[in-house]
Amino acid sequence: MQIHQYDTVIVGAGGAGMRAAIESTQRSRTAVLTKLYPTRSHTGAAQGGMCAALANVEEDNWEWHTFDTVKGGDYLVDQDAAEIMCKEAIDAVLDLEKMGLPFSRTEAGRIDQRRFGGHTRNHGEAAVRRSCYAADRTGHMILQTLFQNCVKHGVEFFNEFYVLDLLINEGKTAGVVAYELATGEIHVFQAKAVVFASGGTGKFYKVTSNAHTLTGDGQALVYRRGLPLEDMEFFQFHPTGIWRMGILLTEGARGEGGILRNKDGERFMERYAPVMKDLASRDVCSRAIYTEIREGRGCGPDGDHVYLDLTHLPPEQLDAKLPDITEFARTYLGIEPYTDPIPIQPTAHYAMGGIPTNVEGEVLRNNTDVVPGLYAAGEVACVSVHGANRLGTNSLLDINVFGKRAGIAAADYAGKNEFVALPANPAEKVQALVDGLRESTGTESVAQIRKELQETMDVNAMVYRTGATLKQASADIAALRERYKHVAIQDKGYRYNTDLLEAVELGNLLDLAEVLVVSALAREESRGGHFREDFPTRDDVKFMQHTMAYQEVAADGTTSIRLDYKPVVTTRYQPMERKY
Amino acid sequence: MSTDINDVELVSSSQAHTGRGLGTGNPADQFVIQPPRTRTTKTPRRTRTNFEMLAWLFMRLSGVVLVVLILGHLIIMLTLDGGVSRINFAFVAGRWASPFWQGWDLLMLWLAMLHGANGMRTVINDYAEKDSTRLWLKTLMGVATVFTVLLGTLVIFTFDPNI
Amino acid sequence: MSAPTIDAPHSAALDAAESGAVQLITVTLRIRRFNPEEHPDPVWVDYQLLMDPKERVLDALNKVKWEQDGTLTYRRSCAHGICGSDAMRINGRNRLACKTLIKDVNPEQPITIEAIKGLAVLKDLVVDMDPFFQAYKDVMPFLITNGNEPTRERLQSAEDRERFDDTTKCILCAACTSSCPVFWNDGQYFGPAAIVNAHRFIFDSRDEGAEQRLEILNDREGVWRCRTTFNCSEACPRGIEVTKAIQEVKRALVTRRF
Repeated sequence: MQIHQYDTVIVGAGGAGMRAAIESTQRSRTAVLTKLYPTRSHTGAAQGGMCAALANVEEDNWEWHTFDTVKGGDYLVDQDAAEIMCKEAIDAVLDLEKMGLPFSRTEAGRIDQRRFGGHTRNHGEAAVRRSCYAADRTGHMILQTLFQNCVKHGVEFFNEFYVLDLLINEGKTAGVVAYELATGEIHVFQAKAVVFASGGTGKFYKVTSNAHTLTGDGQALVYRRGLPLEDMEFFQFHPTGIWRMGILLTEGARGEGGILRNKDGERFMERYAPVMKDLASRDVCSRAIYTEIREGRGCGPDGDHVYLDLTHLPPEQLDAKLPDITEFARTYLGIEPYTDPIPIQPTAHYAMGGIPTNVEGEVLRNNTDVVPGLYAAGEVACVSVHGANRLGTNSLLDINVFGKRAGIAAADYAGKNEFVALPANPAEKVQALVDGLRESTGTESVAQIRKELQETMDVNAMVYRTGATLKQASADIAALRERYKHVAIQDKGYRYNTDLLEAVELGNLLDLAEVLVVSALAREESRGGHFREDFPTRDDVKFMQHTMAYQEVAADGTTSIRLDYKPVVTTRYQPMERKY
Repeated sequence: MSTDINDVELVSSSQAHTGRGLGTGNPADQFVIQPPRTRTTKTPRRTRTNFEMLAWLFMRLSGVVLVVLILGHLIIMLTLDGGVSRINFAFVAGRWASPFWQGWDLLMLWLAMLHGANGMRTVINDYAEKDSTRLWLKTLMGVATVFTVLLGTLVIFTFDPNI
Repeated sequence: MSAPTIDAPHSAALDAAESGAVQLITVTLRIRRFNPEEHPDPVWVDYQLLMDPKERVLDALNKVKWEQDGTLTYRRSCAHGICGSDAMRINGRNRLACKTLIKDVNPEQPITIEAIKGLAVLKDLVVDMDPFFQAYKDVMPFLITNGNEPTRERLQSAEDRERFDDTTKCILCAACTSSCPVFWNDGQYFGPAAIVNAHRFIFDSRDEGAEQRLEILNDREGVWRCRTTFNCSEACPRGIEVTKAIQEVKRALVTRRF
């Protein structure tokens, strides 16, 4: 075991982690721990753009953007946070440009902007061109630009260090414990401030746009330390994933004029969202697609998908604006998007919920109090700017705005406070976890349990949910958690033991899937990404509040989930009926 | 650059490896298949000169000139006026009486030797793995080149048709 | 603009893509395993699988790891060619396992899979990427500007933006660098990926650090070691014209001096 000491430790090196690192490295001694090389992070898979009311191509202002965000989130958005995000969005984009991000340009040489789902002019009048983009590689460019600036500022990375535990002593943050993949060694990082930026948790679904590595590691270990998880029942299903594979095809495709069609060739979104049509918010489009499929208007021999039609767009436009997604269609489906529509289906995409934080990125331990020295930003966190459904592009905004804020706040905190003593045997829990898996003589396989988890989640906790399906999922997960206790791994070695890694990740997924299902079961209404067929309307009287899920550990070691609720911050927008 | 499948050694299929847990040393130290001359943070940065660029340019420019010189040389020696059969001491003596042909041959000698030597230098740089091997090979080649160039130059300038 | 496609006959390609019927075939993966905790030498091991030929090579590797041998070790993340984790030598050519379909690598024969060359192999298909990233860092891959920052964005015409578009696509997967014969034998060479990332800034109209970067690449181990074998261009999973980018840097160096 090795012990390191840093003022600030950042967990995760995706967009939020690196944005925070750029700020905190200039203010405090910072280490970034990441289970992947930074440029492998899933920020790079984001495509369409990053919205900010720059008004480079048409009239726009951040107040409209705030309204769209609040409405897109079905009024579960904390409006003070949304205001901050939309106001600071403009500087966030300009910051990135100054860091070198190669945005696509207008004729006048300014940053070009395009339409995106749910982004409107003057509170819903019509679609507005707000999304700043670099072809369909915006996330890639953001990730590369942030990494380049980390190189410039000499950020200290610990690559392929997998953080497995958070150390809290006397209610204050003391550090983290990490497992070095290359050697199997355990490292304790004592830190004054810790920032979690470890990303999403989509891998508990089968059809997902998420990477293999997105297993909710940050959420799970914070949750196991008795801290709450907020709004985990809200998971976004992106309307246009490649059929069966889930690979993301950007909303920018519809922003450029792409159309969703059913088997009759009908532009069915006209029926569901007369104004915004194909650019309605993602939850609306995903439900529309599933409704079409359920009512027998799906395409293909099994009628289990619909088409994203780009064939009416000129090939030059596709080449210039959507080069990557057209290549995905060619590579993975073998079809030519110039002439053929692309088979798509909704794909699990983004966790709106996560570790609750305030607008400075400080992690909450209950509805009002923070954990001193602990911060979170990005998909792992829930500020909450996304409410019940995230608007397209707002995730890239989230990582830049709140990544920066968390980085500054953490470094400032580290500058003003002393190290908290490490608890006795800081690595005990991690050592036990790792040794337990390595020495397990069980017979259950990680891959099999994960597969069954993904199957039950896809069937029972996806776009449409009912009390019965959620109870089924809950029972399935409980059984899988029981089986997980007897899981065994084949690789007993120390060097790059990815077998062990996958087993730990599965444990995280199981815990978080349980939180998702339990939170969803308790929310007897339909709001944003959470749609209950047995409660198909929004219930603002009972459920206009955030879910807070805590892990309770009984004396005998068994765990259960306790749900609490936190009020939503409302500033200027009162809930209205949500129509697109 | 394809692998010949027949060359590979096979062991039993689908057999699980059971770890023995051989310590946890730094993986870069031992038990790894190391490539030659890896770049590290401590790699010394040499003083930068334009030598490699000039060498690269020289290869291209000398190549163009050599095409003319060598083709001209070959045509004169092999095809014109009965070709090879007329070449004798007197023929060579006659040509080298003219400063033009002396210059032609001198230029051809220098360019061809330096072009070839520089080409060999890059081959040695590319293929010799150890620094000491490189040094020796390059020294050897340098000596051979200098010797040949000097000898050739000497002959062209001190050639006496009356010996 | 929204002419329905209802009457357009489906192309054969679309029908094939949508067909639910899956024809599984037997595939043999011949993987160069190396686990120094076990044995100091690498060995080739065969794995037999039933696969849909339209699946990715990465799916086959996952299937081996999840169903046959959990000790098989490789890096992977996004699984659709964006993150650059899974560059490997498949049938002797550098590719991303997640961007290579089984039907495209001659599945009637055993498919050979080994780690990329020129970087230290640590275990199975995992190599030490640090020297690769060191070369990247050594070309100063970040925007360098002088003077005061503008309040708004820096202006750049669409043509100026297009000038370096190709090299902005790089995902740092190392497929190019580890396909380069010069790099195989001389890890000191910056390698194609580092030069591509220098190119991305040298030809960015906003950047003012081109002189410094060109000076770095004028090094003995810089662009002049490129032998234009085009292995890098062929290996690039993003379709970047890598060799062309290197030649453009050479040209910039020559025209700068003369």
